[in-house]
Amino acid sequence: MSKQGVSNAAPESRDSLLKRFIAATEIDTRMLGMVAALFAVWCAFDIYSGILRPNTGLFGGAFLTPRNLWTLLVQTSSIAVMSTGMVLIIVMRHIDLSIGSMLSLVAVAGAVLQVFILGPSIGVGHPVIWIAAILACLALGTFIGALNGFLTAYAQIPAFIVTLGGLIAYSGVAFLLAKGVTVAPMDKTFKIIGGGVPASWLGPFWSWALAIVVCVLIFLGIVGGRRQRQRFGFKLRPVWGEATLIAIGSAAVLGATAVLTSYPWPFGLIKQYAEENNIPIPAGVENPDGDAICMVGEKVVRCTEGLIYYTGFAVPVLIALGVGVVMTFIATRTRFGRYVYAIGGNPEAADLAGIDTKKMTVKVFALMGFLVGISAVIASARLDAATNALGQLNELFVIAAAVIGGTSLAGGIGTIYGAILGALMMQSIQSGMALLNLPAAFQNIVVGTVLVFAVYVDQFYRRRVK
Amino acid sequence: MRKTLTLAALLAASVSNYALAEGKTIAVSWKTFQEERWKTDEAAIKSAVEAAGNTYISTDAQGSAQKQAADIEGLISQKPDVILVVAFDSDAILPSIQAISNAGIKSIAYDVQFEDPNALYITFDNVGVGRIIAEEIQKVKPEGNYAFIKGDKGDPNATFLFQGMMEVLKDGLDSGKIVNVCETFTDGWKPDNAQKNMEQCLTSTDNKVDAVLSENDGMASGVVAALEAQGMAGIPVGGQDGDLAAINRVALGTQTVSVWKNATDLGVTAAAAAIALADGVAMDQIEGVGKFSGGKNGVEMNSILLAPTPITKSNIDVAISAGHISKEQACAGVAAGTVAACD
Repeated sequence: MSKQGVSNAAPESRDSLLKRFIAATEIDTRMLGMVAALFAVWCAFDIYSGILRPNTGLFGGAFLTPRNLWTLLVQTSSIAVMSTGMVLIIVMRHIDLSIGSMLSLVAVAGAVLQVFILGPSIGVGHPVIWIAAILACLALGTFIGALNGFLTAYAQIPAFIVTLGGLIAYSGVAFLLAKGVTVAPMDKTFKIIGGGVPASWLGPFWSWALAIVVCVLIFLGIVGGRRQRQRFGFKLRPVWGEATLIAIGSAAVLGATAVLTSYPWPFGLIKQYAEENNIPIPAGVENPDGDAICMVGEKVVRCTEGLIYYTGFAVPVLIALGVGVVMTFIATRTRFGRYVYAIGGNPEAADLAGIDTKKMTVKVFALMGFLVGISAVIASARLDAATNALGQLNELFVIAAAVIGGTSLAGGIGTIYGAILGALMMQSIQSGMALLNLPAAFQNIVVGTVLVFAVYVDQFYRRRVK
Repeated sequence: MRKTLTLAALLAASVSNYALAEGKTIAVSWKTFQEERWKTDEAAIKSAVEAAGNTYISTDAQGSAQKQAADIEGLISQKPDVILVVAFDSDAILPSIQAISNAGIKSIAYDVQFEDPNALYITFDNVGVGRIIAEEIQKVKPEGNYAFIKGDKGDPNATFLFQGMMEVLKDGLDSGKIVNVCETFTDGWKPDNAQKNMEQCLTSTDNKVDAVLSENDGMASGVVAALEAQGMAGIPVGGQDGDLAAINRVALGTQTVSVWKNATDLGVTAAAAAIALADGVAMDQIEGVGKFSGGKNGVEMNSILLAPTPITKSNIDVAISAGHISKEQACAGVAAGTVAACD
């Protein structure tokens, strides 16, 4: 079979190396472009922040450090989760403007349940609390999403209007629900989902275990895909192409794991943890720049050699990645996903072909609501509080992430991984500029410009491909 | 909204009935009831006005400068003795204030300033709030790296608060005892934005931050969450508003001070001043009136500036005994013996 692969590649041998590489691996060039742009932005921030205030980053700045990249991923997770649902909504030629308000409503409802209702009645810290709060958030999100979908599909009100109404109305409900006050603090176990406490960090052992499992899955997936193609007599990728894909995929997973597992716990938390669990702290030499802790006489100080823990993957990031994988599967491998793209490509044709487009609309909006529920849990757990201000204007970032990720507002086109990369891009720009201490007005200008520019590049690219 | 409208209509109807009754009529033009605090203000004014045997009437502009202008015309036609105005837009309101004066009615600028020399301006000392936050933080951390989490760039209060902080910290900053390591505006005063800004501040300074001055309590919740994730919770953090969650943080020790503007105090003071004006007391003869010219155009006005209350671990009982927060809420999760008010 490998011979067939080689013979496939042969006629293209006059093409450039890059073209042959892309043809052999079947990598989406748009994704390649986005990843390249993301790296360029990261490097630029690192260089610039290094000029302002030298740090330990790749180019001497504070951006490309394990700590900042770790924080960046945690900061992105809430928006990333919602952007995967927004892709399907936009692909179906709808829009959901209500998700920001929906997030505040769901988060406030979950918080009120924990803090005002269950906390006093069954005792703060009872395990029922966090489970009930999560289930309530997911159920409420799904319900509101389904309501949006129902009004759009059966009452035939344009989604723009339904969700614009929701944008205004849901934030009002959120306000009334909490009477305008900040609801805090969250349940201790619930907080783990936010990524702000040591219990939500996987640590090096489990992070590496997970990474290896994922690498094995990538290998099996590609081998399985090849078998499938053979079975149906489809054109195969050359073996070196398959091997390169496995190598790139594994390298990305292992590289990310290596970076994240080299971010040590903050100094204060190591000390706290050691004291709470009676872990002996070794004696050592003080070094204020070290990440470990040690004893000098009776005092606990920072040092290079001593007790140290590393963070690894954080729970919200794992949730976002999990959602990304599941949503990709739903979008590309299930009948549901096929229908979504079919409806987006041509709603009339899909309807005539026997797809119940109304039911599909309700389902897609309900799925969006479910994802908002997840994000509401992440966002309120991370802030350790919920207010009616939480999540406001998130819809704009989520739509921007989907669009930057290549989702076409004309419908029918869009990928989940693109939206996640788009979310990462938006957050990178914001975090990077906050790191440089740039004024907020300037940040808004840049984010807005990037959005328009990204769509322009995308259009340009599409025209050229045609 | 419909409910508020019916309520306003009912109030208006009841006024025409009572217009012949004894006593004075005190009117209030509210800008909005979207934020909960205005309900507290209204309850205080209404009960003080009615307790003195006078009539209270009001309108709600629902966050629109246009509606507020129409509201005030309506109020003028009901011939009250004094109109208190919470201006939605402090410039657009000026013609309406002129109309009030022309009708021979006294006006009070309640909490939001508009620059008309004929009006009495009653508010909390906003620059003072910033000053108190800075003073309380400086008390516990006289030197070190300070981070400033400011409010929305479009809100003049964000700048007033910062001015107050700088007045107090100027000497320390000039002598190098205090270093300003981060200073950021926060879009929409949002806690989650404040959290991200604080995280980036900690990253860029490698956690070398000794105190954080946040311009309100909502943002302080984001700041404390960011500090907790770095095991730094407990360093001095200042905020304002007297948020219930913030008072709990003060009791827990993760926030040093929350400057509390007691809306009931403001309402009671304003009602007393309005009644005095209605009784014909000259504006500069009212108790506590001084001159204020710190506005945008520097117009000198008679004003009453109330001092806000800093709530720290040592005086949480003040907020509890004022009925602002219950002891359970203030002391949730507080270990016995750490805070006097909780034992």
